[in-house]
Amino acid sequence: MSTSHAEHDHGHGHGSANGDHVPHVLPFKVYIGTFATLLFLTVVTVAASYVDIGHTGNLIVALLIATIKASVVALIFMHLKWDHKFHGIIFVSALIFLAVFIGITMSDTEFRGEAESIEAHNPVDLKDPFKAQRTGDVAIPKEAAAPAAAGSAAPAAGSAAPAVTPAKH
Amino acid sequence: MSAKAEALGGAGESKLSPQFHVAHHFDKADTQFDAGRMGVWLFLVTEILLFGGLFCAFAIFRSKYFPSFVEAHHHLDRVMGGINTIVLITSSFTMALAVRSAQKNETKKTTLLLAITLACAAGFLVVKYFEYSHKIHDGLLPGGNFTAADFASGHPGIFFAIYFMMTGIHGVHVVIGMGLILWILLRNQKNEFSSRYYAPVENVGLYWHLVDLVWIFLFPLLYLVG
Amino acid sequence: MANTATVDELGHAPEVRGKNYLNQTAGVWSWLTTVDHKRIGIMYLVSVLVGFGLGGIFALLVRLELLTAKKTIMDATQYNQAFTLHGAAMVFLFIIPSIPASLGNFFLPLMIGAKDVAFPKLNLLSLYLFWIGAIFMLAAIVTGGVDTGWTFYVPYASGVSTTSVISATFGVFVMGFSSILTGLNFIVTLHKLRAPGMSWYRMPLFLWSLYATSIIQVLATPVLGITLLLLIFERAFHIGIFDPTLGGDPVLFQHFFWFYSHPAVYIMILPGMGVATEILSTHSKRRVFGYKAIAFSSVAIALVSFLVWGHHMFVSGQSELSSAIFSFLTFFVAIPSGVKMFNWLGTLWGGSIRFTVPMLYGIAFLFLFAIGGLTGLFLGTLSVDLHLHDTYFVVAHFHYVMMGSTAIAFFGGLHHWWPKMTGKMYDEKLARVGFALTFIGFNWTFFTQFILGTRGMPRRYYNYLDQFQPLHAFSTYGSWVLGTGFLITFICLARSLKTGAPAPANPWDSTTLEWQTASPPITENFEKAPIVTLDAYERPAEETA
Repeated sequence: MSTSHAEHDHGHGHGSANGDHVPHVLPFKVYIGTFATLLFLTVVTVAASYVDIGHTGNLIVALLIATIKASVVALIFMHLKWDHKFHGIIFVSALIFLAVFIGITMSDTEFRGEAESIEAHNPVDLKDPFKAQRTGDVAIPKEAAAPAAAGSAAPAAGSAAPAVTPAKH
Repeated sequence: MSAKAEALGGAGESKLSPQFHVAHHFDKADTQFDAGRMGVWLFLVTEILLFGGLFCAFAIFRSKYFPSFVEAHHHLDRVMGGINTIVLITSSFTMALAVRSAQKNETKKTTLLLAITLACAAGFLVVKYFEYSHKIHDGLLPGGNFTAADFASGHPGIFFAIYFMMTGIHGVHVVIGMGLILWILLRNQKNEFSSRYYAPVENVGLYWHLVDLVWIFLFPLLYLVG
Repeated sequence: MANTATVDELGHAPEVRGKNYLNQTAGVWSWLTTVDHKRIGIMYLVSVLVGFGLGGIFALLVRLELLTAKKTIMDATQYNQAFTLHGAAMVFLFIIPSIPASLGNFFLPLMIGAKDVAFPKLNLLSLYLFWIGAIFMLAAIVTGGVDTGWTFYVPYASGVSTTSVISATFGVFVMGFSSILTGLNFIVTLHKLRAPGMSWYRMPLFLWSLYATSIIQVLATPVLGITLLLLIFERAFHIGIFDPTLGGDPVLFQHFFWFYSHPAVYIMILPGMGVATEILSTHSKRRVFGYKAIAFSSVAIALVSFLVWGHHMFVSGQSELSSAIFSFLTFFVAIPSGVKMFNWLGTLWGGSIRFTVPMLYGIAFLFLFAIGGLTGLFLGTLSVDLHLHDTYFVVAHFHYVMMGSTAIAFFGGLHHWWPKMTGKMYDEKLARVGFALTFIGFNWTFFTQFILGTRGMPRRYYNYLDQFQPLHAFSTYGSWVLGTGFLITFICLARSLKTGAPAPANPWDSTTLEWQTASPPITENFEKAPIVTLDAYERPAEETA
């Protein structure tokens, strides 16, 4: 248990000569400061939700503040700042894979049924599908095609953006 | 930051925890400590992706049924949600301090801080109970069970399905966390932890902070922006 | 022998050495409470073989039913249950835990010179979770079966089906935790418990493949957990997330499910690739060609596997944009797989190839994986898949990869490491007969199905057009040969436990660390902690000179 300051400046318990664990203790004021920051940001995020900057704007502000709060918790309360770099990599990789999951899934749900609307106006002749000239082989404007899309695939029916503009909360 | 860190190795010499020994397959205590923490971080990854599925569902249905989500989120009590946010942040704070006092061999202080954390967790669940019973009373329930009238928009049941699944699974994590905190509190009272060995306190702390992290995202998404 | 200076005095016959991990303590209780990774590996091995037997029986029943175009032995409902239980048992009870949890558990610590995995108690917990999950699944079979297909697609599974879906999915949910804990344990073990001198690039390539597998287990399995949880709640409480009548999205279930289950097929195949690498190197006495290429291609496959799940959904009504993206990304999997293939061939080239039983399995793996992998490219091609989707072509493709590659590699590994695990040699002749029948029967059964598929035979059909009957019957005859092959293999291995000759420490003259201790190993694995001075497949200078 003979460890000096100099020997463990990488974080948790490195450098103890006999391999015993030596803790890395942060000053109390770091914890108080973190706690105050978190409370402050909570108040800010509630307050910001009453300011109307559009639904997307409010969403971005809320997520931004939440991300800052989460980073503070992870870096200081969870000691990630002083921890092995690999633990940070583990944590961040979870977020990257989560982003991949949500992002690619939305590439489906946000764009579902877009081809059906075109197909509906360009019926394929099943007896001669490769006929050179199909009737009206041009892109159909989306509005004109919307009714056709609604009926074509049940789960996809809702993916056409909702027409109703909601009242601002 | 690390230069300010207080070295306490020497001070703990007289308070070695007698029950602690390095398991036979580890070469030294430090390796064992690091291995445990790496294991917990990997476990937290699985937790993030478990909740991630629900965040994914939230994103997709919010985009799909935007008016319903906006309308439905007004039925959540943002005062209660805000109180619970502060309660959880406080519990995270006391948990972090409990780890610190365990590092410093302050056993009694550790017990006190863990008890406060436990009380906060219980308080969180009490508030949650009132929220849930209010929702159930109003018929604001998932999917096919949704019975509340006077909704202008189409699919509020989906919002409440996600609300109940997310907060429900989060609540289960709070209950499990309380069990874990109680477990280390009892071990701490038996003087099992010291500056030399406090890995369970720190690892339960990491788990508890993650429960807080998830709520930090749940609160604004469900209660504030809908 | 090779890697360390401390192991030369080891390797005496077990009876001289006395105690080993098998006879250290006795009694059922000592096994059920053990934290020894080798005993846990053996218990996993027995469990997955039971699962394999169960899945195999259902497979034979399904094939028998398909012998004729109309009813043969069971009615349509029973047929739906038979193919569901075949799939669910094979995937969740056999292939996913097969190599990592049994051979991996046994050999990972031995190969890095450790005494145990990082968290031995967690390892035992994962075995118990596996058993608990399996019990729920067996309960589902007893209490009404499952007829949803192993993928549990909604809305059929969440509402229409009257079978025990909740019990089966809850079983899979619990087994998911078992899989996560195994993966977590392996990652930490490989990071923290490698013996002195065992750098990352000195690890046997089997361990790199297990590392890549573990990454997938940790990152993907939780999503399966939440998917099945939502499915259970959907079925029990109609929460509506997947139910189109309540505004939910059934295709979303498929996204959730395949975000796990596509990476999961690499949980199944990557360890098989690792086993094949060990076998091909050892039995051709050749250093692995392109060590780093194989190591990194394992990790690359693991990462790319997360980007391609939508190729299961080309005809499910997902957006055309998604389909195009997924089709494009799918081809990237072929690159690291191709890298592996060429490096395996490069390893064999110029080696002194010995046609031992494990080597036969290894070469069969190369052959079958080439077919299975290349047909995967056809299916990844969007326009081709529209025609081949849900036909027997798909069935044949994944059986070539899952059965022809993973299961063949698993049995190859079993024969390769059998002497180390049990301390007994098996009857080579009988094992060869078992292998030959398996190999012939496998191709007989499943190559036929490629032809059936391209001619338009849809999968999962109970009654089918008469024109397919001859090929179906041909495939069914093959399944009998295949079944006989496995039966002979089991008999051969079981017999060796009683009558087999004692195994020497290193019967194959391998260089990796697990062969440098006694067969079977002692509880602590090594008499003295090994110090590694050579690469995994490097022979000491005096031996190669």
